[in-house]
Amino acid sequence: MDAGNGRRCVPATWWAAGLSREMLNGEGRPPSPALALLQTILLATLTAIAVSVVLVAATVFFASRALAAETPARTTADAQQGSLLLRVDGDLVPVPVVRTEVTMRITGPIARVHVRQSFVNPADRWLEGVYVFPLPESAAVDGYRMRIGERSVEGELRERAAAKQAYAAARDAGRRAALLEQERPNLFTASVANIAPRDAIVVEIEYQQLARWDAGAFALRFPMVVGPRYVPRASGSVSAAVPDADRITPPVLRPESLPAGYVHNPVSMRIELAAGVPLGVLESPTHAIDVREHDDARYSASFAAETVPADRDFELRWSPRAGNAPQAILFGERTADATYALLMLLPPGSERRADARLPREAIYVIDTSGSMNGASIAQAREALQLALARLESGDRFNVIEFNSRLRALFDVPRPASAANVATASAWVGRLQAEGGTEMAPALHAALDGREHPGVVRQVVFLTDGAVGNEDELLRLVTARLGDSRLFTVGIGSAPNSHFMTRAAALGRGTFTYIGNVAEVREKMTALFAKLDAPVLKGVEVEWPGAEVEAWPARIPDLYAGEPVVVAARVRGGAGMVRVRGEQNGIAWTSEVGLAAADVQAGVGKRWARDKIDALADAERQAGTPEAKRAEIITVALAHGLVTRYTSLVAVDRTPVRPSQMALTSAPVPTLLPDGWIADSVLGPGAPLPQTATPAGLELRTGLVALAFGVLLLVALRERREN
Amino acid sequence: MRLQRQLRRVAVLLVALGVWHVAAGAYVHAKALAAQELLAIAWQRTRAGEAVVRPWPHADTWPVARLAVPRLGVRQVVLADASGRSLAFGPGHLPGTALPGAAGNSVLVAHRDTHFAFLRELLPGDEVRIETARGDVRRYRVAASRVTRADDVWVTAGRGEERLTLVTCWPFDALQPGTPWRYVVVAVPAS
Repeated sequence: MDAGNGRRCVPATWWAAGLSREMLNGEGRPPSPALALLQTILLATLTAIAVSVVLVAATVFFASRALAAETPARTTADAQQGSLLLRVDGDLVPVPVVRTEVTMRITGPIARVHVRQSFVNPADRWLEGVYVFPLPESAAVDGYRMRIGERSVEGELRERAAAKQAYAAARDAGRRAALLEQERPNLFTASVANIAPRDAIVVEIEYQQLARWDAGAFALRFPMVVGPRYVPRASGSVSAAVPDADRITPPVLRPESLPAGYVHNPVSMRIELAAGVPLGVLESPTHAIDVREHDDARYSASFAAETVPADRDFELRWSPRAGNAPQAILFGERTADATYALLMLLPPGSERRADARLPREAIYVIDTSGSMNGASIAQAREALQLALARLESGDRFNVIEFNSRLRALFDVPRPASAANVATASAWVGRLQAEGGTEMAPALHAALDGREHPGVVRQVVFLTDGAVGNEDELLRLVTARLGDSRLFTVGIGSAPNSHFMTRAAALGRGTFTYIGNVAEVREKMTALFAKLDAPVLKGVEVEWPGAEVEAWPARIPDLYAGEPVVVAARVRGGAGMVRVRGEQNGIAWTSEVGLAAADVQAGVGKRWARDKIDALADAERQAGTPEAKRAEIITVALAHGLVTRYTSLVAVDRTPVRPSQMALTSAPVPTLLPDGWIADSVLGPGAPLPQTATPAGLELRTGLVALAFGVLLLVALRERREN
Repeated sequence: MRLQRQLRRVAVLLVALGVWHVAAGAYVHAKALAAQELLAIAWQRTRAGEAVVRPWPHADTWPVARLAVPRLGVRQVVLADASGRSLAFGPGHLPGTALPGAAGNSVLVAHRDTHFAFLRELLPGDEVRIETARGDVRRYRVAASRVTRADDVWVTAGRGEERLTLVTCWPFDALQPGTPWRYVVVAVPAS
């Protein structure tokens, strides 16, 4: 640097230095006072910074060491290796995963379903896996076994408490054990104890199911996931309406927390279908499937992908070629004491009649809770717009939305004038989904409990049914129905179809399931056809001369395209069944000989299952919990069925877990149903906010610097005084 | 002499640096204390029926509830939103979780060295009270406390049942602010 530059710097430097006394009195000519000053300031600053940095580094270093000492050894690095971690009792544990292989053998409308669940333990410790999973609401679970290598341990049906006790005893003794409990007719808990480190235990469940015939096609559903259910806060106690809330709400994985390409709880599917008649259609509206046709009207199908994640219900639909539609299907099973019969019969002439359409009062109720956010609310909005478009002059209507609150478009139903419908359409277009699912007030508002002479009052209820207080709601439907009809429409990838089927049955309407957006128009049109067509009332089923116990006890009103389905236990009699009804003032009768019945195992179980459903309905109506407990247990034990009072338990004989090894119990997390938005049902997923201030660090660093500075000053002063 | 002078300068600078750091640290605490005084006034107005009472001009947050722990003599006004800015003034309500005192899981967050320093003193069974804007007082009982990772989703998961979750950083004594761990206290309605 040249001298001129240096000189020019001087005034500026003095100004910046604040002209302290020592600096002005600087002694020693060479090099120059300005340069000396600059040198000193630089040295002082650097020293201060260095000391400060060293202090901060030292505190941070010791703090980190302390933190590391207290931090559990396992971190997210383990999670990257393909297994998910879950916090159990303050410790991170790789979660058990359930692999499901489903085999369906379908003969006519009857499906024999074999579900093989492998509980995989990815951890280096002994695990107990607890898995909450759905099965079809009409499934009669009758087979259960645990497979260990080549051996298999058969499950045994016991009263729930006894089964649980047997399971717990085996678990604590270190023996392998499996327990299957029913939480709701379509919701089960499987517990599997003593899965060895990095091993698996396989559990097999078998059930029988009747495909649903509706509007010219058979449909069979295999539910795969339980949507997180809303548990309402009843007045007074928190969960009086849902005492088992924690049993029906398994932990749910946020989709964004899953590694790319990872299929959680993978499901594979194999279907063999002996339709009996050539099929026009065999398809799945929910999954991509590969279909192969064999001889004799036999078909096989499987998922196009090897496995799919358990995040939505599977539906299979097939319909006979034109002219091959069944009129009556009869199955029989003969046991030592009785003959069981299962009859499905399509009433003749159920076409739509064009005359004398009575004016309607249509109440549309739409669920706008958080679980509906995403694809579901879009489906529901479109379905509602279709419903509004079909209103005719002379009709009256209203639209009600509910989440945590209830909001009605109009105070009272208004005439379906063009202006009112346009208002409604705009209102529906603006609906957003968020908040809880307080369904009781909505049912209360939509069902008025009154008679409406000269008017057909129809309530169309669009929801995913993600509620935990089913019993309370079903009681409400029965109490407030009046002469209204309740039509439930299941929306989304995993609606609670047990609740919606029962609600529609008690509401004397029908249940429509819409699996994806593409189906909205088709399914809603089919529903409107039912709403407009005359209802077939007073259907009677007679078993001449026989001693019969048939379920349902009274055949419900039938809508267009719906068959009569009845299961009966028959003793003696003339060997035939007669179905009578009246439509448009014309009486009709159909007769089927019991000798013509196809022999089919499992018909007795189906009858028992229907009887248990009827008993459960009666129990709900009685209002006293467990009023029919003894009767249900008797039927369940006689037919080997899992109910809310009976469970299946399989226990291995020899202990495998050494007594000094601990057992960790971990829930199997489930996926969020496809199309659901995690934040709307699970709360925000972003990390918890950072809540430490630098105050402590600042204070400590500052105090240390202050102490050093003051000490130094004091020392210098003493030296000068000497 | 020259060395002495230079050492003297170092000492002066050290003192200045120390004062500055102490002031910065004290400022955090002063702000936390002073803000609660201003918030107490805003809370009175909220209780009187005003909605979204901003405690001072240009404030981007407002009181939503008051939190009290009788045993520890704690009384704090809870703010809407849990951004770093509002956390300097008081405990924040994590958006997206249930409002304090409402059905569902209500998550409150605050700094471990100011407002929520008392969390380490909370014991199972302690009573925690929430006063809502409508004047209801809900009583909760501390059920459990545990340490979780900051991205542990079960903390904020709500399944409908009423619950109060208090969250702060962990460990309490760490000097370094950026820890991946959180101390979580779960309280359930006392009935």
